[in-house]
Amino acid sequence: MKAIIQIESLAWSLLSTLWTPVFVGIFIAIVAYALWPCNKTLFDAAARMPLRED
Amino acid sequence: MTSPSTVTKSMTMGEAGLTSGFAVSAFVCFLAVAMGHDSAFSFHAALGCAASLIAVVVIGNRYLDRPAALPPAEIDGRPNYYFGPIKFASAMAMFWGIAGFTVGLIIAMQLAWPALNFDLPWTTFGRLRPLHTSAVIFAFGGNVLIASSFYVVQKTCRTRLAGDLAPWFVVVGYNFFILIAGTGYLLGVTQSKEYAEPEWYADLWLTIVWVTYLIVFLMTLVKRKEPHIFVANWFYLAFIITIAVLHLGNNPALPVSFLGSKSYIAWGGVQDAMFQWWYGHNAVGFFLTAGFLAIMYYFIPKRAERPVYSYRLSIIHFWALIFLYIWAGPHHLHYTALPDWAQTLGMTFSIMLWMPSWGGMINGLMTLSGAWDKLRTDPVLRMMVVSVAFYGMSTFEGPMMSIKVVNSLSHYTDWTIGHVHSGALGWVGFVSFGALYCLVPWLWNRQLYSLKLVNWHFWISTIGIVLYISAMWVSGILQGLMWRAYTSLGFLEYSFIESVEAMHPFYIIRAAGGALFLIGALIMAVNLWMTVNAGQANETEGADILQPAE
Repeated sequence: MKAIIQIESLAWSLLSTLWTPVFVGIFIAIVAYALWPCNKTLFDAAARMPLRED
Repeated sequence: MTSPSTVTKSMTMGEAGLTSGFAVSAFVCFLAVAMGHDSAFSFHAALGCAASLIAVVVIGNRYLDRPAALPPAEIDGRPNYYFGPIKFASAMAMFWGIAGFTVGLIIAMQLAWPALNFDLPWTTFGRLRPLHTSAVIFAFGGNVLIASSFYVVQKTCRTRLAGDLAPWFVVVGYNFFILIAGTGYLLGVTQSKEYAEPEWYADLWLTIVWVTYLIVFLMTLVKRKEPHIFVANWFYLAFIITIAVLHLGNNPALPVSFLGSKSYIAWGGVQDAMFQWWYGHNAVGFFLTAGFLAIMYYFIPKRAERPVYSYRLSIIHFWALIFLYIWAGPHHLHYTALPDWAQTLGMTFSIMLWMPSWGGMINGLMTLSGAWDKLRTDPVLRMMVVSVAFYGMSTFEGPMMSIKVVNSLSHYTDWTIGHVHSGALGWVGFVSFGALYCLVPWLWNRQLYSLKLVNWHFWISTIGIVLYISAMWVSGILQGLMWRAYTSLGFLEYSFIESVEAMHPFYIIRAAGGALFLIGALIMAVNLWMTVNAGQANETEGADILQPAE
């Protein structure tokens, strides 16, 4: 029982320390996705979406 | 296979469910009228009873009048867009806008001439002020957001809005919430949390409406014909989801009785304050910013006939706002019982927010690349572009005011009111006006009645905003300086009432600014009314006749 509580509190303190780098990592991944050269065509087309008529 | 003509007519699940649900609700509300512990609660139960009965009749009649088959999703291969609920929300936005600006003018005049409180409980500043803020933010702004989101999501997904009655439930249900909240304030029903004043039963109703809104929006996204989800829809979705989370987080309350209006909030002391401003500032961030940025990303490119300047920047803009905004709330609680580290955290994130905000502003403004000349000829576009400039101005001023030393001067003064109104009138107001000037002609397939009137609206309101915000800057800084002035012997130099007296001229200027803003909105209401009722049918969508350049 005591071991479980210790593991839980360890996991909790790890989580509360780790969330900052995790969020920063996710944000960096998003920026990389936005700036990835291969995605340019997709984004250029998306930028014109409001102009399309049906 | 059955052909459409042989489809047997039967109630849909939504029709049957809503009819029976409203019938039960009418009965329950009727009992609540009789058993209510306070007259305001009984009055609201009576409104609920009447609205439920009307809903049963209207849904029943709608069923009897409609053909057996529901409207098709497509006609001749083109999406059969669902505009009815959007038209309703647009009209309600205009109505609540006029109402909210009028109440704002009244309370501005009450501050200049207190006799205008009339010594009646229902017309005191304390009750009218939340009526003003809720009417302009949630009633006017909310209806603009619901209307424009339902329009943009259909157009950019090339699909009909999900649901048949659900979109109507959202727009009518939301306006019923406004009615309950607004009449409640006048009767003294409030949980005294700024921008979250409605009591527990209004909050519960809003939760049902908002979850339906989320489902309608999500289901429309799910059945989209476009593989890519346009950035405006991301902003709308963030607005809808975050408002749901904020609403639930800030409003867990225990009613004193299920037959009375009074409740007590679950949070206590400084935790309540922290939740309140986590809610309050993110209502600014996700209601007044993310939602209206969605409008910017669709309506400015559409009106200027130019693509979004940088789609990449729009993605970074979106995610940076999402990651940063949620932490900025504690800047409302500088120098309070909130732990110092939390105050510093709020300040730091507020300052960081400056960058994505200006990234978004630059993206909105630069979308006019190659179309700057349109600012001379199209006052609707000019209105939206000026709104983005105001967005830039207030998102610079906000981070600056969140710095603790600046806040020690600005907090509790009129500077805050000036800051809020440069954002509310300049950014939210103008971008909403621009969106409505676009939406109404598109929805009713008419040409805008008069661009000259738009021009008048633009200039009168702009002068009104300038009067308003400059008066509040001067009075706010004057207030702050008077409160902190000490004599050489260490006594306060001014009594509080002397600072109140010094505000008088600025309160008159502010009321004059508010009056001009209201006049502008009245001109707009006439223009939109004439567009719908006397406007020329539009041959091609969005082809308003432009004014010649002078």
